[in-house]
Amino acid sequence: MAAVLTMPFAPADAWTLAGFFKALASRLGGDAAPLDEPAIQRLVERARAGDRDAAQRLYRQNVDRVFRTVRGMLRSNAEAEDVTQDAMLAALTSLDRYSPRDDARFAAWVASVAVNTARRRFRRRRPELTDTGELPDVPDEQAQPERDVDAARERAALLRALAELAPAEREIVSLRYGAELNASEIAKLVKLEPANVRKILERTRERLGARIESLLKGTLA
Amino acid sequence: MNDIELTQLWSRLEPNARERARIETRTFEWIEAGETSLLAEWLNFIKVDPLPGLAFAAMAAVALLMLTPLGWVASAMLR
Repeated sequence: MAAVLTMPFAPADAWTLAGFFKALASRLGGDAAPLDEPAIQRLVERARAGDRDAAQRLYRQNVDRVFRTVRGMLRSNAEAEDVTQDAMLAALTSLDRYSPRDDARFAAWVASVAVNTARRRFRRRRPELTDTGELPDVPDEQAQPERDVDAARERAALLRALAELAPAEREIVSLRYGAELNASEIAKLVKLEPANVRKILERTRERLGARIESLLKGTLA
Repeated sequence: MNDIELTQLWSRLEPNARERARIETRTFEWIEAGETSLLAEWLNFIKVDPLPGLAFAAMAAVALLMLTPLGWVASAMLR
């Protein structure tokens, strides 16, 4: 179909300076500065009214957070890509279901969409163990070798340590450190009391931290 | 490790440039496809590339007309 054959950026944008920087920002990781909640709410209103630029800005504010959250719960980057795409699509096409009156930050609502999407994938495919000790599957063209070796080791250690956790613990720590939700927001998502979430987080943080440090000191082999 | 260190470590799980570009392209293609009617898609395709567009449209029409009778024949042969 024609839509599938088109470039990811509108032709009208492609040859302007603004379009160039928009494309560059997208390639480098979206909007550089995170927006505060009132600004996010204004974008949500504009996106609901059909403003494409607002929807793109909402997307860029959230896509990395969604990816790093679900990556901690899934077993490969490919699965995390699929779930991120499905979750962002679901979020952007169902903005009417989001209600800030429920005292929910937009990021928490997007995280709930992402976690539900990831859970559906769990149910479809078992066992859902995370890959362990893998290196990045696609070399990055802008890679800086020394820094990237360290980053890859840290990433591998984190993924291996996560794979040793129970799925529920993995979900809770991913929501805490990937989505950057607080204990109350996580409690609503996992249907536990906030005090229980805090206990699980405390216990899991200690185990995870100790395991990552031991993996980084060791060979990771 | 404390909360801040773990949050920083989680940033190691972010997508690389290619993954990010693929996710963005596919997400907005789906949104665009959802907003565009099938007829508009075909008309746009024919407008952008008239000959292949018309050829594909003709093939699609023939396929639609032929598939049902072919299905009947195939199912009759399998019985």
